[in-house]
Amino acid sequence: MPKLTIDGIEVEVDPGLTVLQACETIGVEIPRFCYHERLSVAGNCRMCLVEMEKAPKPIASCAMPAADGMVIRTNTPLVQKARKGVMEFLLINHPLDCPICDQGGECDLQDQAMAYGFDRGRFHENKRAVQEKYFGPLIKTIMTRCIHCTRCVRFATEVGGVEELGATGRGEHLEIGTYVEKALNSELSGNMIDLCPVGALTSKPYAFVARSWELQKTESIDVLDAVGSNIRVDSRGREVLRVLPRLHEQVNEEWISDKARFAYDGLKRQRLDRPYLRRDGKLRPASWTEAFAAIAERIRGVSGDRIAAIAGDLMDVEAMFALKELMGALGSPHLDCRQDGAKIDPARRAGYLFNTTIAGVEQADACLLIGTNPRREAPLINARLRKRYLQGGLKVGVIGPQSDLTYRTETLGAGPETLAEIADGRHPFAEVLKQAKRPMLILGMGALARPDGAAVLALARRVAEACGMVREDWNGFNMLHTAAARVGGLEVGFVPEAGGRDLNGILDGAGKGEIEVVYLLGADEIDTSRLGNAFVIYQGHHGDAGAHRADVILPGAAYTEKSGTYVNTEGRVQQTRLAVFPPGEAREDWTIVRALSDVLGRKLPYDNLPQLRQRLFEFNERFQRLDAVVPANWGAFGANGAVDGAAFRTPIENFYMTDPISRASETMAACTQIYVLGEQGGDEQGMTGTNG
Amino acid sequence: MAFLDRSARSLLLTELLSGLRLTFSYMFRPKVTLNYPFEKGPLSPRFRGEHVLRRYPNGEERCIACKLCEAICPALAITIEAEPREDGSRRTTRYDIDMTKCIYCGLCQEACPVDAVVEGPNFEFATETREELYYNKEKLLANGDRWEPEIAANLAADAPYR
Amino acid sequence: MDNFWDGFLLPAGIIVAQILLIVVPLLVAVAYLTYAERKVIAAMQMRLGPNVVGPFGLLQPIADGLKLLMKETIIPSGANRIVFLAAPMLTFILSLVAWAVIPFDYGMVLADINVGILYLFAISSLGVYGVVMAGWASNSKYPFLGALRSAAQMVSYEVSIGFVMITVLLLVGSLNLSDIVLAQQGGFWQWHWLPLLPMFVIFFISALAETNRAPFDLPEAEAELVAGYFSEYSSMSFGLFFLGEYANMILMSASTVILFLGGWLPPVDIAPFTWIPGPIWFCLKIALVLFGFLWVRATFPRYRYDQLMRLGWKVFLPFSLFWVVLTAGVLLAFDLVP
Repeated sequence: MPKLTIDGIEVEVDPGLTVLQACETIGVEIPRFCYHERLSVAGNCRMCLVEMEKAPKPIASCAMPAADGMVIRTNTPLVQKARKGVMEFLLINHPLDCPICDQGGECDLQDQAMAYGFDRGRFHENKRAVQEKYFGPLIKTIMTRCIHCTRCVRFATEVGGVEELGATGRGEHLEIGTYVEKALNSELSGNMIDLCPVGALTSKPYAFVARSWELQKTESIDVLDAVGSNIRVDSRGREVLRVLPRLHEQVNEEWISDKARFAYDGLKRQRLDRPYLRRDGKLRPASWTEAFAAIAERIRGVSGDRIAAIAGDLMDVEAMFALKELMGALGSPHLDCRQDGAKIDPARRAGYLFNTTIAGVEQADACLLIGTNPRREAPLINARLRKRYLQGGLKVGVIGPQSDLTYRTETLGAGPETLAEIADGRHPFAEVLKQAKRPMLILGMGALARPDGAAVLALARRVAEACGMVREDWNGFNMLHTAAARVGGLEVGFVPEAGGRDLNGILDGAGKGEIEVVYLLGADEIDTSRLGNAFVIYQGHHGDAGAHRADVILPGAAYTEKSGTYVNTEGRVQQTRLAVFPPGEAREDWTIVRALSDVLGRKLPYDNLPQLRQRLFEFNERFQRLDAVVPANWGAFGANGAVDGAAFRTPIENFYMTDPISRASETMAACTQIYVLGEQGGDEQGMTGTNG
Repeated sequence: MAFLDRSARSLLLTELLSGLRLTFSYMFRPKVTLNYPFEKGPLSPRFRGEHVLRRYPNGEERCIACKLCEAICPALAITIEAEPREDGSRRTTRYDIDMTKCIYCGLCQEACPVDAVVEGPNFEFATETREELYYNKEKLLANGDRWEPEIAANLAADAPYR
Repeated sequence: MDNFWDGFLLPAGIIVAQILLIVVPLLVAVAYLTYAERKVIAAMQMRLGPNVVGPFGLLQPIADGLKLLMKETIIPSGANRIVFLAAPMLTFILSLVAWAVIPFDYGMVLADINVGILYLFAISSLGVYGVVMAGWASNSKYPFLGALRSAAQMVSYEVSIGFVMITVLLLVGSLNLSDIVLAQQGGFWQWHWLPLLPMFVIFFISALAETNRAPFDLPEAEAELVAGYFSEYSSMSFGLFFLGEYANMILMSASTVILFLGGWLPPVDIAPFTWIPGPIWFCLKIALVLFGFLWVRATFPRYRYDQLMRLGWKVFLPFSLFWVVLTAGVLLAFDLVP
């Protein structure tokens, strides 16, 4: 443990820390541009200079390992002068365009120039101008502003795992770019916008829209994948203007995926802002009273076992819980929240959780991916795997389709037979897993959303048990969900009750006329053509597949517009918060169910959210434990049976369009065009940002 | 003696009379007020009157939607919305000043980095309805075109002291 | 028929014509007194005064009158409607009827009665009823306080005005106003203001107080009582108070002119002055006194109420009483009693 003196304070730090980190342990803030705690050390901005005794000149504290007996001074005139000098050099080529820069107001360079800047320039030659680079539809570049901290390059290489970004040229001619004019292909590229300490990389959809000081900031949870990234929703008036990540070491560190960050413009398009009623074959606007009356009219006299409900991927736990209670009151056992038809066993909690936890991935040393492509399903878990991979010694085997993951993988096979081989120990990778200290497997929806899914699940359990993944201190069995509502739905019991039909049963029943009324709670991913002549009630926020088939539409609230509980794939309970109000006559989802229950004469016993939550806590006390992961007990799950030979498919074909919100988003449509369909954009070439 | 003196002053109303004499003499002094609509007083180049949005000599509007005026406005009278124009430059789509809220403090013109929003020399813009005092971008730019010579002269006159 | 025509209708018509001949110019004078007031005070404060409506702002009083006419008459819900409406009429009528006895020239008077000065005194003391009625009927605290102050003030100063008149009557020996004027014949040094200078000053100051003018405008002291007894009045009912007040000012000036400044007599009894007709002299003198009213208003700050009462009761009353005794004594001692 090196012991050093910083500003006269003696401090003992962990070995391997840099001087800058040592300073931070005692609360001394060192200005920096290139240094970032989650990236490798570059040491090229020179802003973090501090004075060290017996050193002939100031040292870059971010690159200097703390050593025993060092005497560091951070606030001497020499240090001040050095920082001022560095700042003046940085400002030589930095344009004075803060007023038109989107980073203005939240810019590191601006802030530090207030502390260390000189109030006029002494540089009378021409400033340099750099051509704009094309980084794709998400990132706008104004490369004249770049101060060459190379955070973006290091992020793309280390975290993103796409080595497409780099610096060319030297000295004044150094430029950051993609070598060839090509969109940066990463699901995490938006994080470079946050990383960039100046306005060189800014958000393209957010360009010139608002200033940081105008925005109302609401801390919330992302629901567009099952990771449950912590986000901050920035809004002005009734509009969500951007989404930023929020630090959560256990979940998303400080990154979020591009879908979470940029799909917000889908919240403004295709919204259902008032109830609709199908009259004469066409959906026509109606009032709430009319819509409820129509439902009551249709449901009257229909026995409970001819009514069914399906919950969608973006639903909060409260709404599902309320609907489940309403269905119970109506006497219907037909409920399902697994709208992709995945054969998840709701009985055993360990069988549907990401038991290792996301942070736990960093301790694994062998990983088997079964029917999943984490890069598309959960980019942040993929980033964790890459982080673990970069530390060395991680072996990854893939069963399923070929995919372009950001670490080296070994393709073991395409379908369940390979899994069976591993379970029986006949496959060489089984040895790898058995040798590993902390082996894990990730079971994706691609392996479960098929007729023999239950058997695959049982097979995966056998693999886990056979390869020593389940121990007292380690549970390597992980299910990677694709929907934010899935675990919540399972935990709240939104699954067929005794004698109830599951998704396929409901759809078949509707097709045959055995189910007369289907309540779609935001369910858009089902095959609506199989609903037959059933009376379809759709409750949701976007005019997507479900709403097109619906006979009655009840407009609900999106995740930025309500306070809702979500459970992520680890079983972590988190809550969104209301950032903006729902549009028009739309309401929070549980209130719609509650109001409908009154019209149907089966009034639910709660009038406000705290009462509902209280009942929810009584049903399942885990919902009370916000942000906690409760370990699940291991046991048998899945159903032993024959598996067919079909290959696992990828559950998500298009990362950018997985749900009603991202399907309505223009930004996501542009991303789909470029990244999925492979068209190239880039019409702003040749500009330098100096053209006004 | 003093008593006599005081009584004499009091009885002869000398104080009242001297007061009357003073006011009478004022009747014939030159008037200090201006006959306003016909005569006008001099205005400082720093006078803060009606707002304008200026243009560059080539006709390009100066405002770059930096929103500093909106941020500094103590009366929250300014509302700005912005988006990229077709040529990619940063421009406002909406620039409203609620002249009924404005307190004419001049902080907006101090904040403006491009001298786009300026409080011009015009103070005669009374209207018959409140609605007419909700200025939009069009009105402000029209004001700018109308008062540009005076504003340019004022800014030039004040420049040495800034 | 003839008898009816000659004996009743013609004299009545003549009287009505005479009344109109007095009242119409009087009302015009009132209008322009307000204009003169604003102009004179503006000049003394180095301002311009009204100058927009008409040439030199001469149409300003007409514009003001029109404005008052167009306004809505508001009667407070708690007010006594009859008394509330009667008060301004009473004030206005009283300020006009007094003019019946004012002589504009020798023989040019509507009613040349022998007790003219008593009539004048009686009518002007009735003015306080209008004020009290207005203050009471408004059913509102500021008008009520204003009316109380006004009543007390008018009553107080009438006492000394009465004694001042007695000194004049002692010199003249008649209650007829024309006789009082004629007694002052022979040039401005023969007018009563010189022999009775202290009384003249007391009369002038008491006239200010009697008409509620600055510096004795406590009943309508806006800093304390909003607008005093006519706070609740608007439109033409306010206009009538306004006209009445200014007509009263002119009336008090006319009394001053008759008692002390020789009425219609020219200041010097020689050729160029005697060519000018008496009514012109009379009006000029009234204008001079009115100018004094305005001048005082532009010069002095408002009295405190206790100072006002002290002045009336403890200074003016003993002093004028003493002067009555002195005058009578001098007249008896030198056998000058007329």
